[in-house]
Amino acid sequence: MNDGLKRYCAAGLGLALAVLALAGSLWAQGKVSPADLTVAKSLGSREAPITMEVFADYQCPQCRLFYETVTKQLIDTYVSTGKVYLVHRDFPLSMHTYSHQAAHWLNAAAAAGYYAPVEQALYDKQDVWAPTGQIEPILLGVLSPAEMKKVRLVESTEGAQLDAAVASDMALGNSKHVDGTPTIFIYHKGQQTQLPTGGVNYTLLKQYLDYLLSH
Amino acid sequence: MAQAPSAEVTAGSRIGRILLFLARLVLGGIFVYAAYSKLHFDGAWHLRDYQFFFAMAINSYNMLPLAVVQVMARVLPWLELLLGICVVFGFGLRWASLGITALLLVFMGALTRAAMLGLQINCGCFGYDSPKPSTELLHDSGLLILAVAVTVGAFLSRRARRVAA
Repeated sequence: MNDGLKRYCAAGLGLALAVLALAGSLWAQGKVSPADLTVAKSLGSREAPITMEVFADYQCPQCRLFYETVTKQLIDTYVSTGKVYLVHRDFPLSMHTYSHQAAHWLNAAAAAGYYAPVEQALYDKQDVWAPTGQIEPILLGVLSPAEMKKVRLVESTEGAQLDAAVASDMALGNSKHVDGTPTIFIYHKGQQTQLPTGGVNYTLLKQYLDYLLSH
Repeated sequence: MAQAPSAEVTAGSRIGRILLFLARLVLGGIFVYAAYSKLHFDGAWHLRDYQFFFAMAINSYNMLPLAVVQVMARVLPWLELLLGICVVFGFGLRWASLGITALLLVFMGALTRAAMLGLQINCGCFGYDSPKPSTELLHDSGLLILAVAVTVGAFLSRRARRVAA
């Protein structure tokens, strides 16, 4: 066998291995369903006595305020201690130009296993990306290059599923008559209750959660 | 020698009494319903935890310190219920209707402020899927007219009874 033929064979073998590796990776990853993404966008134990479901829009200033002043403390005090299971639902409002795009990337990050840091970055840096829609640099700020590569791979291969997950959350919200964000539902002992819009601060929420946990 | 009231005056006062009674039923009924909607929502009674929800609704106006919000949240539904029942059954009618008028003025002040600030909140007046403040302001304006009418009617009726006695 001459050298040229050997080189072609080696290159062909390398290409075949690369294709097999990519296919293997996609196979292992599988297609993400909206249900998978709901789990990926949830924090805490599914066995927690209280489930809190938050319909939110990443470009909405009230959602940011809620995240910064309520959700962060809630995660530290109730979610990490197994008392509350926190479920995020995407409800991008049409008045916000880039909120759907933000939800799309958030779902990609969630599918890759980086929901919490990306959610925090999207809210913390809302002022930066909301005017321009430049969301990828925000993700790059909190993810390593390897992690970002993984998110991009999910985004490029599962884009339709990510959008389907957002649509599924929105359909759920519409069925529950959600008309603004953040809209919060509390589930406890089989009962679903919607919290009043706009007035939920940490002190009041804590009092209510403590009441539920003591009953 | 006192003159007997004419037939026209008697008929007029009877119509007035009927109108006052109907206005009492509507006004008092609406206040009883307002209290009910704060105690029963999402398909269940919330007699033990209503105050948490109503506190969140009041807090959405960003007007009052949290301590005041919490006191109001506990008291207001029961005050609405009491005033509504008093107006419907005519117990202390003058003061109950005056109380409702005063409450409506306070509510309208809060709603006007919320509408001017463009707060995207539910008013919380009749449960937690109530209309936006600007819409509720129109409803409350109608109620205020009714409340003033009942209050004036109650005071006039009381004076007429005193004169007759």
